[in-house]
Formats: sequence, C-alpha cells, structure tokens
Amino acid sequence: MKKLTLIVLALITIISCKDDDPNIVEENNTPQFGALDIDFTNKVGSDLLILNTESYDNQSNENYTVSELKYIISNIVLIKENGDEFIYPVADSYFLINEEVSSSKQISLSNIDTGMYTKIKFGIGVDQSNYPLNGVANFIPTAEEQGMLWSWSAGYKFVKFEGSFTPQGGTASDFLLHIGSHGEVLDNYKEITLDLSNAITIENELTSNLTIDTDVAKIFDSTNTHSLQQKSDVQVDPVNAPILAENISTMFTISTSN
Amino acid sequence: MIKNIGYIVLILFGVACGSDKEDYVPINNNPALEFTIPSNFPEPTYNVTLNPPTEKGFELGKKLFYDGRLSSDGVISCGFCHIQDFAFTHHTHIVSHGVNGALGTRNAQSLHNLAFMKEFTWDGAAIHLDLQPIIPITAEVEMNESFSSIIKKLEERPEYVKLFAEAFEDQKINSENLLKALSQFMIMMISSNSKYDKIERNEGSVFTADEAAGFELFTSKCASCHTGTLLTDQSYRNNGLSVDPEYNDIGRNRVTGLAADLHKFKVPTLRNIELTFPYMHDGRLKTLKDVLDHYSDGMVDSETIDPIFKNIDGTVMGIPMTEEEKNQIISFLKTLTDDNFVNDNRFSEF
Repeated sequence: MKKLTLIVLALITIISCKDDDPNIVEENNTPQFGALDIDFTNKVGSDLLILNTESYDNQSNENYTVSELKYIISNIVLIKENGDEFIYPVADSYFLINEEVSSSKQISLSNIDTGMYTKIKFGIGVDQSNYPLNGVANFIPTAEEQGMLWSWSAGYKFVKFEGSFTPQGGTASDFLLHIGSHGEVLDNYKEITLDLSNAITIENELTSNLTIDTDVAKIFDSTNTHSLQQKSDVQVDPVNAPILAENISTMFTISTSN
Repeated sequence: MIKNIGYIVLILFGVACGSDKEDYVPINNNPALEFTIPSNFPEPTYNVTLNPPTEKGFELGKKLFYDGRLSSDGVISCGFCHIQDFAFTHHTHIVSHGVNGALGTRNAQSLHNLAFMKEFTWDGAAIHLDLQPIIPITAEVEMNESFSSIIKKLEERPEYVKLFAEAFEDQKINSENLLKALSQFMIMMISSNSKYDKIERNEGSVFTADEAAGFELFTSKCASCHTGTLLTDQSYRNNGLSVDPEYNDIGRNRVTGLAADLHKFKVPTLRNIELTFPYMHDGRLKTLKDVLDHYSDGMVDSETIDPIFKNIDGTVMGIPMTEEEKNQIISFLKTLTDDNFVNDNRFSEF
C-alpha cells in the first residue's frame, strides 16, 4: 500500500506539472553564447584616415581633405559554412560609425550562438522594408544627435562624407555627400557580404574579434568614378546618390579576424 | 488510508505547481480597441495587426498629441496646428506656426482616415504613418525638438511612466513606443459619417437637386484625381499654381530629387473640405470658390503642370466651369463634412 501511494504521488507530481516542463532544458543542452567585437578602421587606400589635416588625391586629380565621416551599419548576420545564418536581433542591430568618436568604431555584439562562421553580412543604412515597428525607431535619438536624420523627410542619411577639395589648378571648395533613400522612390540601402578568410569561432562566454577596413577612397573611385568638380553637393540626388551608394558598397574589406 | 492519499495528492498538486502560479498575470487592464473599417472604405494601408490599438495606447497617443512637451518651447503640441473643430487643420492660418512664433512654409493638412493613406505630408516625405511625426517634431520652424530630449522630459512625468508601462509590453518610454502610441490615436480618427457616406452606404440620405448636380459635375471634372471614397488618388501633381517666390516650394522634388517632380504636391482628400480652409499646400486660397476660380481661370503653365489640364495644342485649359456649376460643386463638397467626427469626444483635447 505504501509503495502504491508513492507511485501515485510520483505520477501525479509529474503529470501535474507536465505543461511547464518544456522550459526546463537538460544541463548539457544549455544554449551557449559568445560575443563578437567588430572594429571599423577608416582608411584612404592603405593609410589611416586622418580628418582635416591630411590631404588625399582621387583619380579625378582632385586633392581632398575629410572633415566628417559617418555611416550607419545595420542588420548584421553571421553565416556558417553550411549557410546557416545567425541573425542579430534587428532592433539592436543599428550602429553609427563616426570617425571622430573612437568608441563608435567598435561594435559589440553579444549572445551570439556559438560555432564557426565563415561570412558576415551587414547593411549600410536603414532597410526600408524594415520600416518601422521592429525597434528601428529607437535608433532615432542616436541618428538625430549625430545629424543623420533628414529632418524634413523622416528618413536617415546612411552615409555622411564631408570635406574640402581642390581640383588640379583650381581653388578649394567644400564637398558634401549625403547618401540615403529618397522616400519610396529610390532605395539606396545596400547589403554587403564579406568572406572571412580566417573563419571566426564564437565560443561560450568568450569574445571574438573582427576588424573591418573601410576604404573611403572607394567612395570616389570604385565601380564608378565620381568627380567632385562635377558634383560636390549630393543630398537627395537621384543621379549621383545611387552611383555613390554603389561605390560605398565596395569600400569594406576584412582586415583581421580571430 | 485512501482518504489520506487524497489529501496528500491535493497538497502535492498545490506545491508542485506553486512556483509557476506566481508568474501568472491574470488581469488584462489594457483592452484592445476595435478598429472598424467603414463598409464603403477600401482596405487600410496601415498594418493594424503590427500595432493594434489598445485603450491605454490610444489614451497615451492622445495625451502626447495634445502635449506641448513634444516641442522645444513646451507650447506647440501636434494639436496646436491640428484642431479638431476644423477636421484637424490649423484654422485660418495660411502656413503652420511653430515654436517662438516661427512660421512654416506649408498649410497644416487635415488629419483623418490616415490608416488608409499610403504616404504623408504634402510631398510624401513620410512613407509610413509611424514616421510622419518625426518631421514636425524635429523641424526647426515647427516643434524644433529632439526625441532624446522628449524622452527625458516624459521620463520625469509619473503619469507618462505609468501610461507607457500600461500601453506597451516592454513598458519602456522610447521613440518606438511614442510613435506607435501616436499612430494608435491617429488611425482611430476615422471620418466616415458625412452625408456623402450615408448616401454611398444607402443609409437613407439623399442629395438635394443642387448637390446631385454638383456630384455629377464633380465626377466628370474632378474625380480623376480626387478619386473614390477617400477623394484622392494619392498621387503628386502640379495643379498650375504659380510659384510663390517667398517660399519657392519645390514640392515632391525635395523628396525624390527628380526634375519631373518639381512643384508637385499630393492630391489632398476632400473630406471635410468645407472646414479645412485656407486651401492648397501654402494656404493661398481662402474659399472653395477661390479654389474653383483657380481651376477655371487661374492656372499657370509650367514644365510639370499636369497634362490633364492642357489642350491638345499644349495651351492650358484648366477645368472649364460656369458660375452655376461652381455653386453646384460647392454644394456637393459640403456633403463631405462629417459633424460626428469633428464633435467626437474620443479625439477631443478636453
């Protein structure tokens, strides 16, 4: 009788809590998460970008200095060799890289599924198909403080690149390149996938590192050639903004990963 | 013995599941609001399922709409330029007024049936209702405020801390929730009980002879742009207004940068048009008669004027109308006034 009592009790205890059990995962199946720091190094060709004081030449024989460089990195995805994707939570996936602020040049991602990743995918700017309601609106204060909102158009500037330039034999004047999407008419959001020559391994409770070089010389000279003498003020420019956006999508390379 | 087992079993049930019961929050004190599409309306463009209006969300949105804290001087609320009695326009003001007496460059648009609109503002700069408030909030000549500053101000107010917590699952005061709350308030602002609606829905109303004649004229002369139940095809067009050198407003071109969009503005809805004077994007025309006079005799040719207003030889034709026809059209336009909407307490400041 005592035995029966115990069995009944045991059974009832189990049955009565059955619905709650899926939340309890066995010890050895506990999901493991690691972290990843991504450093962006802004360069001109192979040299480090130096604001204001250093001048550079583009392929249109224009000598330029840079006073401001800002861009939005978004929608980060890590891809495994078999194609499996780890999509970083979209609402937490918006970052503003500002050459002037060194802390902004390191992006820290946490709670990444452990494993070996061979590719990284990210966006430049804000994906219109993500507008709004996925937490993107919470990026507004950052973008606003950094002057990355087109106040009159409720949209983001994806890239802001400003400075001054002197054409060969000419006089110096300012340039101002603001690239973003133009309402629903023109989407300048770009996604970039980079192969990680050394795969990164995300390990439980450890932080891995990745350095991405951003070569701003490519903004002028890459897939397309953009001469500042031809157009030095690009803001909502349906002809030049897509040309520059295409160049911008080529300016990132993996420097180191471990 | 069996009896004893029974008691023990009962106790065990309680103990075994006790810890789970504490997590259970049974009271839902934020009921959903019903978003009803009027039977004569099209499907909404706003995805209501992604931001379903609730009692608390609506209450919060309304409080924000009428709160001057959303502006830098603490005075200019959304409701300052969007006044319910005039279908949420800035009555008699030619252009919108902003902080410290600043003047805008455009006439405040009426607000209703926003859940059915594709893009917002005169040039379509906002591609989603949730994004629209960013424009007036941050514009220097309007509310001249930043989201970070607003969030800080709201965090200091216990009533807002409470309302945000009640309205949203993550309970946070942030820009996402602020914009969602404003949208919840605005999508509920449906104007669908004008005489015109009641006739469209066969609810027993009938046009007078003048209104009926006006409706027929309107259908043949105006409805190619002011289409359907919403009385707009939501396109951008140049309707032959001369360019005011004071503003030199380039219109839709500011958003797209396309030369073809120079001086084009959104075709506005004509619902409640009797109340929303003055008219046009810059409020230059005072009365409905002035508007019709513009279309019959006042149009100015330009590169981007809508071809619908031109003769085959390229000269500007406008919309030919006699004085009698204009009066009849105005009679019809007045059937678009929705008194229920402008008097609906749900949307009132007080």
